[in-house]
Amino acid sequence: MSELLAQIAECIEFGKINKAAPFPPQMKGQDGADELTKQAIEEGVIAQDILTEGLMVGMQKVGVKFRENKVFVPQVLMSAKAMSTAMVHLKPFFLSGEVKQKGTFIIGTVEGDLHDIGKNLVSMMVEGNGWKVVDLGTDVKAEQFVAAMKEHENAFVGLSALLTTTMVNMEKITKAIKEELPNAKVAVGGAPVTADFCAKIGADAYSADPQGLVEYLNSQVA
Amino acid sequence: MKGLELIKKAFALEEVERIPWVPFVGVHGGYLTGVDAETYLKSTDEVVKGVSKAIEEYNPDGVPVVFDLQIEAEILGCNLQWAPHNPPAVITHPLANGTSLADLKVPEISDGRIPVAVEATKILREKHPDVALYGLITGPFTLALHLMGTDIFMKLFEAPEEVNAVMEFCTKVGVKMSEYLLDAGCDIIAVVDPMTSQIDPMTFETFVTPYCTEIFDFVRKKEKLSSFFVCGHAQQNIEAMCNCKPDNVSIDENIPLDFVKEIALKKGISFGGNMKLTVVLLMGNEDDSRENAMECLDMGGKKGFILAPGCDLPMDTPPANIKAVSDLVHDPYKQDVVRALEKKESTLEIFNMKDYGQADKVIVDIITLDSESCAPCQYMVEAVKKVAPQFEGVVEWREHAIKKMDAVTFMSSLMVKNIPTICIDGKIAFVSQIPPKSELVAAIQKRINAKLKLKIQQRKSKILLLCSEEAECTGIKQNIHRAITELGKDIEVKVISDKEKMAKYGVAKGPAVVTVNYKLKSEGIEPSLDVMKEWIKEL
Repeated sequence: MSELLAQIAECIEFGKINKAAPFPPQMKGQDGADELTKQAIEEGVIAQDILTEGLMVGMQKVGVKFRENKVFVPQVLMSAKAMSTAMVHLKPFFLSGEVKQKGTFIIGTVEGDLHDIGKNLVSMMVEGNGWKVVDLGTDVKAEQFVAAMKEHENAFVGLSALLTTTMVNMEKITKAIKEELPNAKVAVGGAPVTADFCAKIGADAYSADPQGLVEYLNSQVA
Repeated sequence: MKGLELIKKAFALEEVERIPWVPFVGVHGGYLTGVDAETYLKSTDEVVKGVSKAIEEYNPDGVPVVFDLQIEAEILGCNLQWAPHNPPAVITHPLANGTSLADLKVPEISDGRIPVAVEATKILREKHPDVALYGLITGPFTLALHLMGTDIFMKLFEAPEEVNAVMEFCTKVGVKMSEYLLDAGCDIIAVVDPMTSQIDPMTFETFVTPYCTEIFDFVRKKEKLSSFFVCGHAQQNIEAMCNCKPDNVSIDENIPLDFVKEIALKKGISFGGNMKLTVVLLMGNEDDSRENAMECLDMGGKKGFILAPGCDLPMDTPPANIKAVSDLVHDPYKQDVVRALEKKESTLEIFNMKDYGQADKVIVDIITLDSESCAPCQYMVEAVKKVAPQFEGVVEWREHAIKKMDAVTFMSSLMVKNIPTICIDGKIAFVSQIPPKSELVAAIQKRINAKLKLKIQQRKSKILLLCSEEAECTGIKQNIHRAITELGKDIEVKVISDKEKMAKYGVAKGPAVVTVNYKLKSEGIEPSLDVMKEWIKEL
């Protein structure tokens, strides 16, 4: 059984979606995340274990490799695709409450900014590490963030920006959130953002890569 | 010498008397003349006014004519969202929304906003014959991403032929755009391909190299110069970029300049960059800008280097900051002043580290950005905080948040280069990675043991008795042993009677007595030259 979970983790790590997928070449013709997850459920493996000991293990490895510049965006996207293929099979268990997520993470690219590659990557990594992600999309205003946080109690929130001109909107949004919800935890990220900037605008966390955010979130609920 | 001539010299890797300087003025030109980004990028007149103003204010050797990576995309059917302070953003991707590649045509010179760039080039060429004009084109990979959306990343693996076909088309567009701009009077074609920072070297070589190489070859055939601009974390691809044979590569602050210098020069290619756009030029003051520029100038050197910001200047970059850089570039005296100021800061207190960590307690220093704002820093501080009490007062720990100047000095004194770092008794122990508890405990314990060993060894001494004939020193030997016994000391006595060995101690004829006090000064580290000098002075 643990052998099977290890195989699932490997499929996520290397982005092997299903048997038919040509990528990665070294796993050609082998079962992918799709088949193996289905098999695990049929064999009676507990859904929670499939998530935490299979899928999340693989995703974590990808996150670390991405941080260490061993893989890049294309490979991470393949892993995320493999992950979401597997998640389809786990969905009923989420709905029934049999599988629990660590918490909720709300994310959006800030007002005035339409760039979504970074935000999407972060969403996928956070989701792949056992969190429920609420993606508000791009060009998101302060009120939308606040409304979403009121809807999802105790959720963490992440603000993304690619431009130097839109990153200043992070300050406005962070202030608006903290005013309404003083205990809210706000994480910021994106190419021009730095830890210095994060401190200056009163946000709670900054990371240069998705894995850093995952570690921050996990540390908050540990 | 200045302008194009100077840049040509730098591109040819010849030694220059002054480093050429190219401020990447894009929509910032509109800021200088008081128009928004959309008005600016849609008007030949505004571009001419903005660039002329920049030439007047910043005294550059070269400037880009138009810095906008959406010109080609817009013509090819991508919808744009305009913003007042930024170049527009692509919001739809035709090839992801049903358009087929066969329907796309290589833009004509009269299409979209190409005339803005072409006409502005012609007028600026006339007005400023000496200034090098950079014609910017969207790099094929970035253009392909505009057309396909992020699907391109997965299609690299799932449908490589499709990606190749799109890349081939984008290359045709790039060649044509280069031709329009060169014919209008540009001196240098800059292929701006920032999205390549998102892929690994192998993918780069497969999907980018053949296409970019073709564009650079075309420019060479036209007997003009080329540059490869990239921004973001593209360090992994620098070598592959050089292999595409541009005349120059230009990078931003995400890549260390010395790294690029080494690779580019080895490949016989000039390089440029990499002043910090946001923290320094946009948010910093004139001093910060001068200091950062000086760092780049000294690192880049007078062979093959072009000083430039990392990328397109943010629209509202304070002109005073860019002027400060320009003044510095043109004034060797100002450069000396900035250098001297820098030196004063960087040599502070470094000498006083010689006895650091020699006291009885073990000191654990955590160098951080600020544990309150930097998550990895916070975890590192917490790791130490948890472990320290286990040693019951033997271990002291401190955090040095480098937002304060004295912490920066401390950091450089310990030769720490990465944040966060844990030092144990002044020696770098853990860099970036947060150590598991057991490893941290083990490292501290190891240091405690080493100190204890050191203390025991410090007490050890030796007496050397030098005599050519054993019989010659029997009396002395007896006295020494008696003295040792009476004083209760742990001292080893060694008799040396070999003539050559005696000569090494400067003794020609025995008997002679030499006392030796061992003092272990360091273990497991390489003390710096200054520290060594201090030790030798004590002898």
